[in-house]
Amino acid sequence: MNYLIKELFRHKWRTVAGISGYIIATLFILLVMSVTRTNERDSIGILKGTGTHFIVYLPSSTSCCVSCDNESSSGSLIAEGVFTMMLNSDLIFSIKEIEGVRDAAPYLLYRIFDKNLQSEVSLGGIDTTSIATKNNVCAATNVISGKYLSSDTDEIVAEESFAKAHGLRVGDTLNVYASKLKLAGIVNSGIKPGKADLYAPIDNVRTILKERMKCMSPGFDMNIVLVEVTDARIQNSVIRQLKERMNYLSVSSYNCYQPASEVMTIMEDTSTMLTALIFIFLIIFSAKTQLTSLMERFREVGILKSLGWSNARLGRQILLISLIQSLIGASVGVISGIILIFLLNNYNFRLFNTMEFHFQSGAIPILLLLSLAGGLLAGIFPIIKIYRTKAGDMINNYM
Amino acid sequence: MAGKQIECISLTKQYNSKNNTVTAVDDINLGIGNNELVLLKGRSGAGKSTLLNLMCGLIKPTRGKVMLDNDCISEMSDDSLSILLTEKTGIIFQSFNLLPTYTVYENIEIALVPKGADRNLIKDNIYTMLGQFNLKEKAGLMPSELSAGQQQKVAIIRTLIKQPVIIFADEPTGSVDDETATEIMEHLLYLKNEKQVTLVIATHGNIPERIADQVFVIENGRLKV
Repeated sequence: MNYLIKELFRHKWRTVAGISGYIIATLFILLVMSVTRTNERDSIGILKGTGTHFIVYLPSSTSCCVSCDNESSSGSLIAEGVFTMMLNSDLIFSIKEIEGVRDAAPYLLYRIFDKNLQSEVSLGGIDTTSIATKNNVCAATNVISGKYLSSDTDEIVAEESFAKAHGLRVGDTLNVYASKLKLAGIVNSGIKPGKADLYAPIDNVRTILKERMKCMSPGFDMNIVLVEVTDARIQNSVIRQLKERMNYLSVSSYNCYQPASEVMTIMEDTSTMLTALIFIFLIIFSAKTQLTSLMERFREVGILKSLGWSNARLGRQILLISLIQSLIGASVGVISGIILIFLLNNYNFRLFNTMEFHFQSGAIPILLLLSLAGGLLAGIFPIIKIYRTKAGDMINNYM
Repeated sequence: MAGKQIECISLTKQYNSKNNTVTAVDDINLGIGNNELVLLKGRSGAGKSTLLNLMCGLIKPTRGKVMLDNDCISEMSDDSLSILLTEKTGIIFQSFNLLPTYTVYENIEIALVPKGADRNLIKDNIYTMLGQFNLKEKAGLMPSELSAGQQQKVAIIRTLIKQPVIIFADEPTGSVDDETATEIMEHLLYLKNEKQVTLVIATHGNIPERIADQVFVIENGRLKV
């Protein structure tokens, strides 16, 4: 060990050159990881939430599951234009137990033909607090005029297309569903699988259907379950599990999670490949540095061999020198990287002022391990050379 | 050649370059007995150094073999050769071959690293040897701060400190002044006479033949009869 330290200090420039390679490579890997982390947070974060929702219902051939004792209605429970059966609230808990399900919410979607409006009117009862409702039906962020749903039992919001078709404005009162419902707001929820014409809190819709429409059905919990998953990439797995457990249910998704999932995979593969490329260059550079360093003192190694130093002893020394250099280089590289990231984030550098770098503390052990692996690989080539060359050839052929 | 400590049998060494093959040592057979002083004489480029390197196992022969105490060193593994170089043989180079970034003391000390001896004992031995060669005050200097004669003395101490039973010396007095050359030869003769060391010395002629038990003259890689 004593000679190892001497070797590092007596050949200062050679040591500095060896360490510099690891510093540069570590710095680059750290920056690439930082940029890809930012990219992941911003881009993949968005893509992760793209299309991570679907609806579950039980289709039926007739609307016999309910009967409404109301002269103005001939309604039915529907989902995506087909009749559905009523579902029990317990189903929500079963679905929430599936791995990868972020949230599940009840939805009660009823459609009648309204004689006054001379058209079909669908009314969706929603859980306004659920993320599953937000992505499958509508949310406060979709309001384009007026306000979103409150606890007022008579308030509803209408889809923009429905409001335009019937000339409705915020504050109007609609005489539908055997009720006088006040239009609190207008929403444009876009293309959603659970879209309706009018929306109200689910408890209010239950009251409307049971008490005002006199619809006869046990429970009146819901006819659709809205589901939100944690990541677009596991949506397929969640749907598969759900179908395995409850194969009688119908699952409907717009499948926009699939391209998002593919893009995310491509982005992650690219960042992994970039890191791998830098790592390969690190090894090549380090191996070259170690080999050059050895060639410079090949004659000295030959002298040591002629004095009885074994290949194993010399190899061990070279490997340790390489590992020490890689460890020092990686440590300095990490510290330099942290400082650089801090400077880039806190000072207005023109080239980078649109980017934000995120330092990952979890990357430190990975970088140290990568560098040690690089040092190990870089040390192997010189050792092979020592084993293959006789001491006399080293002394005579290398100056 | 039974009973010889060192035997060279049909020893040949060729170097191949792109267009031609150079035979540095050509089919040499010789034997050296225990505690002999042998001179390998010849002009520069005759093949003395190559023969010496072959005899101590630093290079591999193209053909033939070298037997050392009945062990074939030309077929020995590197590990066995390391043990041999640590325990039994010592080499003195014409160009000293000191490590330029190590001090005089360290240059001698590295020869004892493979032996793994006690550090205090090593220190005592080194300073004793340095004293014998009047180099005690130079222990902390770098080789570049020494004269050629002093560097050769350090190289010799580095070899002797291991207490080898066979010493191969390549022109040990070739690069030093007459006074130092005499001092070096006196030490080598002391080792032969008092410590029963076998000496194989390559020289171009500045060492008198009368001190040798055998003289082998080499010309164009072959033994001159």
